[in-house]
Order: sequence, then structure tokens, then C-alpha cells
Amino acid sequence: MNWMLISPELYYLIAAFWFLFASMIGSPNPRRDYFTALSLAAVGVMVCLAAVNLEGTLFYRAYRIDLFAQVFKVMLSAGLFLIICICTELKGIKERYQREFYLLLFVCTLAMLLLVSSVHLLNIYLSLELSSYSLYILVALRKERNIGVEAGIKYFLIGIFASALMLFGIAMLYGTTRVSNVEDLIGILPGLTGNPAVIIGLLLTLSGFFFKLAVFPFHFWAPDVYQGASNQVTAYIATASKVAAIGILLRLIALTGDGSIYLVHVLVILSIISMTMGNLAAIVEQDLKRLLAYSTIAHAGYVLIGILSMNDAGYTGALFYALSLLIMKFAAFLVVVQVASDGGNLRIEQLAGLHRRSPVLALTLMISAFSLAGIPPTIGFTGKFLVFAAAMQRGYFTLVLIAMINVVISLYYYLLVIRAAYLLEPREELPNLQISSAMKSLSVAMVCLMVVGGIFPYYLIELARAAVRVLM
Amino acid sequence: MQVEFAGFPYLSAILLSCLAGLLLILFIPREKQQQIKRVSAIFSGITLLLAVYLFFAYDKSRGGLQFVEKLEWIPYLGIHYFNAADGFNLPNLLLTGIVFFTGVLTMWEMQVRVKEFFALYFLLVTGVYGLFMSMDLFFIFVWYDVSLIPMYLLIAVWGTTRKEYAAMKLTLYLLAGSALILPAVLYLVVNSGLNTFDIVALMQPGTFTPFQQKFAFILLYLGFGILAGVWPFHTWSPVGHVAAPHAVSMVHAGVLMKIGAFGVLRVAIFLCPQGWQHWAQLMALLAAVGIIYGALVGLRQTDLKYVIGYSSVSHMGIVGLGLSTLTVDGLNGAVLQMFAHGVMTALFFSSVGYIYDRTHTKAIAELGGLSRVMPVASAYFIVAALASMGVPGLANFWAELLVLISAFRVYPVRGIVAIIALVFSALFMLRVVQQTFYGPHNEKYAALPDVTLGLGMPRMILAAILVLFGLYPSLMLDMIETASIPFIDGLPR
Repeated sequence: MNWMLISPELYYLIAAFWFLFASMIGSPNPRRDYFTALSLAAVGVMVCLAAVNLEGTLFYRAYRIDLFAQVFKVMLSAGLFLIICICTELKGIKERYQREFYLLLFVCTLAMLLLVSSVHLLNIYLSLELSSYSLYILVALRKERNIGVEAGIKYFLIGIFASALMLFGIAMLYGTTRVSNVEDLIGILPGLTGNPAVIIGLLLTLSGFFFKLAVFPFHFWAPDVYQGASNQVTAYIATASKVAAIGILLRLIALTGDGSIYLVHVLVILSIISMTMGNLAAIVEQDLKRLLAYSTIAHAGYVLIGILSMNDAGYTGALFYALSLLIMKFAAFLVVVQVASDGGNLRIEQLAGLHRRSPVLALTLMISAFSLAGIPPTIGFTGKFLVFAAAMQRGYFTLVLIAMINVVISLYYYLLVIRAAYLLEPREELPNLQISSAMKSLSVAMVCLMVVGGIFPYYLIELARAAVRVLM
Repeated sequence: MQVEFAGFPYLSAILLSCLAGLLLILFIPREKQQQIKRVSAIFSGITLLLAVYLFFAYDKSRGGLQFVEKLEWIPYLGIHYFNAADGFNLPNLLLTGIVFFTGVLTMWEMQVRVKEFFALYFLLVTGVYGLFMSMDLFFIFVWYDVSLIPMYLLIAVWGTTRKEYAAMKLTLYLLAGSALILPAVLYLVVNSGLNTFDIVALMQPGTFTPFQQKFAFILLYLGFGILAGVWPFHTWSPVGHVAAPHAVSMVHAGVLMKIGAFGVLRVAIFLCPQGWQHWAQLMALLAAVGIIYGALVGLRQTDLKYVIGYSSVSHMGIVGLGLSTLTVDGLNGAVLQMFAHGVMTALFFSSVGYIYDRTHTKAIAELGGLSRVMPVASAYFIVAALASMGVPGLANFWAELLVLISAFRVYPVRGIVAIIALVFSALFMLRVVQQTFYGPHNEKYAALPDVTLGLGMPRMILAAILVLFGLYPSLMLDMIETASIPFIDGLPR
């Protein structure tokens, strides 16, 4: 067995153990822990990058390393690194739990790395649960115990409901096909897409990931959890966890080959309801994190458009969309974390006067809002364009039209956020925000990434195409 | 990668000078306002010079696409960075240069958040230039949105009357237009089976079935038409014009609305000629209603900027009417009207801007007798008003004449309606001029200084251009004909 193949996973396992032991011995030292976590995460990105070209299967074909999985691993590790970057002051989490916080982040990332490489249904289920359980605890770690624990329990209850459905779906799939390895399913499923039990089984299996991605009807947790979790944890849920969910959804949907008409219909309906509901609900939100939660639900709808197109253009688009979500959502949360310097939640009116208090953050917020809305030339537009073009290739004209109308609706609330940052003046004079130069450069880097990803997406698209080719 | 550049890339040079100006402005400290304005004037001047050069360097005897710049951008999707100049877009590029440069000069006295203003202003104009020169559907869409987004902040931060409402309304309306454009564009590209966004490749006859053309045309027409102020989707435009700061009103009414009309021409009409023929009746109807509606509503306005806003709706109706005639003269008139109306509204808003900065009111009733206080400043406004009425000797006359003659031939009833509306339009312009500049003058403003030579510069340029093309219209018409005659000849019968 070639251990090199799973070097990223092993690396994150070791890093998690490091924090496990550290939490048991010695007294907490936030500064030291932060730098340890940051350097471990940075090395993690490099390990994933170094492993990008590896290929192979392990554990009796239950675990597969290919370009698709490795690209997602790079995105996930980069996501973890970015999140740890904004953990300089963990005001939202009690000091004595901070090492557990890093421990759980690393465990969760490990679980997601395992998830995107899993090609056995049980393996998928286990990795999904591992990442979910880490997140349940992370959410409940919030300093204001009431809202944190409430959010954690809500998350947990809806989560186990979804995973129960998923197990049931896996059982049905196994019951009808007698295989539980995804690679074997590839051969069998396309011929069975007329069989209702297979379709229901597949849909129920997918519901676990719909929960992760916050697709209607598994979206109810999102606003409360986003609001209840500390800002960094919310950022992690909104970025890395979505990327992992998109990855595994792509792998499973690609199984059905050209797709069954039932499955497509269900996905179209879920996509339309998700984006419309998410966008409409976001309009009235005053809490920025809740607003971003609803916008996540809407984005889940857009991603589904790429997935349900079931052609390589759609998968490429969905993969690119995952990357763009990672970047633009992170940029938005970077601003949230910096502006809410006391670790509390951020209301939209608290952004007032941001353009004077910190021009860099205001610019980052504006570009990320435009990017989230899908306005060119930003990376968010490229992602939307790719999935819409793919859907149009399949002739889903109405779906694209509805999605575009949704883009207009969403622009309204994103503009409200921009308005708060650029037009409103705070009631009392607030001091300028003290932003460290590292955070400033991170913001500028995010702005550049969002704009460059919109203007020169060529190489990223080629990479995404190469990655999804292994699925087909 | 396939790269194709015919000589020096003048068109890209225009875009690059906009971006260079934008970056330079970002790096000047915000306290050095004068320096920011100087840099803006220099870089907008460079783009104007390049546009003028292109206008005169275009080989009219050869016609067709010239100054072609083409390189593959995203080969997998068939997206090219493809710029070219022809008889349709050169007048618009020239117009953009003129309005851009004079807009910077008009804002010479501004004091508030100067740096952000000019940075966003440059971004806006980059989008406008890009759209006019692009021959690739993907880039046209991108440029369309690039030019819309700065508008929100430009109006909401620096605007005046009900600015936040106007900014939000405008942005959402125009984005709703793009919500129709993108699906239609994707629909055409996918159904062509060519996997390219290149307009030249897609406009080959026989690429689309008549049904596809009709279907896509109406979406594109409505999508771009919202931006062109087509009745009944015009309501964002007067509100937006009134609220915007002067230079933005100039770009907005002068150039941005032309983007809409130009989009209808370049995308909808070029790609779906049969759809155009099918829907021409509807286009003519909406245009005629717009002409008369704008004129009538304009009659009742009490705010100087609203008057100009509604006259824009009316004049853009003339562009729409010209486009709907399916004739060479109609197209010539429409494109000339885009140019002439752009220069004229820019002159209008620039003059109102000067007056408003002094009197701090745009209410017609409060002004009055201004011609005695500031004769020169008033004269500029009156020149614009004369142009708006279609007085011979100014560029608008020729445009309206061409459009109305050809419209009268093709749609006699709608043509007559439009001609009657022009009488109303003249009536309301005369009323405004009479009330604002003649009659008893308001003592409050008696001590105001007249415009100096330096500050009057932008208006002088604009008025001179109106007169130049009024006396010598063939300079422009010969150019437009190089594109319109081959296009109409190539139409399927």
C-alpha cells in the first residue's frame, strides 16, 4: 500500500492529534496556538498541492485519489488556512476552549478530505458524519452560551434527521443494486434510472449533502446556525463545508450518466425553490450573518443548476462555482470578523461609515457583494455564467431565466449592504478600525482574486475541466 | 492562442488609457484634488484624441470592420477578446470621448470625495467604451454590467433629488434588462451550434431559424430597450437623470442610453434580422408612444432636469423609430440621432450643472430672467434647446429629418404622430427657455457671475460639435453609410 497517496489525510490527522495532546497538557496560550495552527494549515496547503497529481485507489477500492478529489482537497485546505488567518482574535470563543477549536477545525477538514475521496457509500457516510459532528461542537463553542448551544442543537437535530434519511437511501440503493461501491454503481445505475426505488434511494442519499449545502428543504438550520455560531465558525461552514458538499454531490450525480428525467425534475424544482426562497428571505434580514445564510441557500440553488445539467460543462461550472464561493464568501466574512471586533454578531447598520473607518474593508465588502450577486467582472459572475451556459446547452431556458431574475432580486439586498458601508453615517462618531497590515494585505489579495478570477478565468476553467473529466 | 492584430491596437489603447487613468487616480492621495482632476482631464483627453483619430483614420471607401483586434480569451467556450470599428460604433466611440472629456471639465469645481468620484467615473466610461467597440457577445454583456455598477454609487453618493431611491431603481431596472439579455445570448450561442460568441461568425445568414430569431430578438430588444429608455420601461431614466451628479447625468443620458440603442442594433438586429423584420411594427409603435409621451409629460415638469429627462425619452423614441423602419435612411438617422442627442443632452446637463452650482435650484419657477445675469451660460442652454427642437443648422435636425422621412414612408400614421409630438416637444422647450432665461428675473440671483472662458470650455466644445455636424452632416452620414448600406442590402427578403 502506498502511504504517499493519502499524505494530506495523514498530515491533517497528525495536526489534529497535535492539538488533542496540546489541549490535554499545558496552559492555553492563544497567541502561540494561533501561530501553530496557522503554520500547520499553511503546510497543509502545500502538502495538498504537492499531492495534486497523485492517482490511485486504496482500501479495497473504497477510497480513490484522482485529480477531482485532489483539486477539492487543495480548495478545502486553502479554506482552512484562510479561516485560521482570521482567527487572530477569537473573541467569540472562550479562551480555554481555543485549542479544542483548532482541534475540531482540523478534524473537520480531515473528514472533508476523506469525503471528497470516498467512493464507497459507507465510507462517504462516515466521513460526512465525522465532519458534521465536529461542526455541531464548533457551533456550540460560542461564548454567549445560549445562542451557541441553541444553534448547535438545531444544527444537530436537523443534521441527524438528514443523515437518517441518507442511511435509509443508502440501504435502498444497496437493496436494489446489491453494490455499495460507487465505481460499481457507475456501471449499473445509468441502466436503472427508470427504477423508482433507485431514484428514491439516490435522492435520499443525496439529502445528506443537500443538508450540508443548505438546499431546500434541508435549509432551515442555515440562518439560525450562521447567527448562533461564532463568526469564524460561520465562515468555515459557509466556505469549506459547502465546497466539500459540492464535491461529493458532483461525484454522486455524475454516477447516473445522462441522468434520469425524474431526478432532473426533482433537482430543477429544488434549485428553483432554493434560490427564490433564499433570495426573497434575505431581503428583510438585518443581521449580516443571517443575510449571508440566506444568500448561501440561494447559491446552493445556483450550484444545483450546474449539477443538474449533467454534462461536463455543468460539472465544470459547479466546480468553478465551488471555488468562487470559497473566495467570495470568505472575503465577506473577513469583513464581518474585522468589523465585529468584539466577536459579536454584525447588524447591517453597524457597517455605517465603513468607507471612512476602513476603506480597504469597504472595498472588499463591495467587491464580494458584487461577486456574490454575480456581476461581471468578478469570479462570481464567471461561476454563474458557466453553470447557466451549461444549463442552456441542455435547453433549460426557463431555468436560466428564473435564475437571472433571482440575480436581480439578490442584487437588491447586496446593494443594501453596500449602501450601508458607503452611504450611511454612524449615529455617533466611531473611531477608525485598527486593521493589521496582514489583514489589509489579505483583503487586497481577496479583492484581486475575485477580480482576476472574473477577467482571466482561463486557467482555472481548464483546471476544473481536467478535474471533472475523471468523473465522466 | 490565436492572436490577430491589424496594426497598432488603437481600440485597446482607449480602454487601457481609461484603466491607467483609473489606477493613477487610486494612487493619488485624496487631499490632492486638483491633481486628481488634472489626471482625469489628461487621460480622458487621450481617449478623446484616440477616438477622433479613429474616426478620421477609418477608411470609408473600404468600409467593413477595421482596426480589428482579436485574441482567444476562453477557447473552451469560444469567447474572444474581439474589438473592431465600423460605421455604427465609430460615431458612438467619438461621442463617448466627447462626453467623457467634457464631463470631467464640468466637474472641475467639485469638492466632495473627489477621488472616489473620478475613479468610479472612469470605471463607468471604461464599460461604455468597451461595449461600443466589442464584437463578442460575452464581452458585450460584461461591459454592459461594468458600466452599470458604478452608477449606483455615483448617484447614491453624489446625487441630489431622492438620490437613493433613484439609484436603486435605476440599478435594478437595468440589471433586469441584463436578466433578459444573458439568457437570450446563451440561447443564440447554444442554438447556433458554433460554440462561439463572435458576432461576425454568428451573423452569417442561416445560422438561426426564423423562430429562434423572433424569440431571441424580443428578449434582446426588451433587455437593451430598458437601457435605451423604450416606453414603457423608461421610468428609471428621468428619475435617474435628475438625481445624478452633472457629469454622470451627461454620461448617463448622453452615452449610457445609447448603449441600449446600440445593443439593439449590434446584438438584436445584427443577429436576428428576421426577428427584427417580424417585430418592427411593435418597435415602431413603442417608439411613437415614447416620443409623444415624453413630449407631453415634459410639458408639465417644473424641474429643469426632469424636463431634459423626459425630452430624452422622447428623443430616444426617435432613435427607436429610426431602427424600426428597416431602411438605410432610418438606420442612418437613428445612429446620427444617437450621436446628436448624446452631445445635445450632455450640453443640456452641463449647462444646468453650471446654473445649479450657482443657484442651488433646478426649479423653473424660481429661476427666471437668467439671461440677463449670465448671458453666456444661458446661451449654451438655449443652443441645446434649439438642437432639441430640431432647428436646422444643428446636428439633431438632420437626424430627425432622416428618421421622420423614412418613418413616414414606412409607417405613415406613426410617422405623423411623431411629427406632431415634435411640435409639442418644441413647445415645451420654448416654454422652459422662456421661463428660465427671459421674463422677470429673480433678484436673489442678480449678483451671480457669468461663466468664465475656462469653466465654459466643456459647453463650448459641445456646442461647437453640434454646429459642426449641423452644417456638415455628411461627415458623419458618409461614415454611417459604410455600415448601414451593406447591412440592409444583406438582409433576407
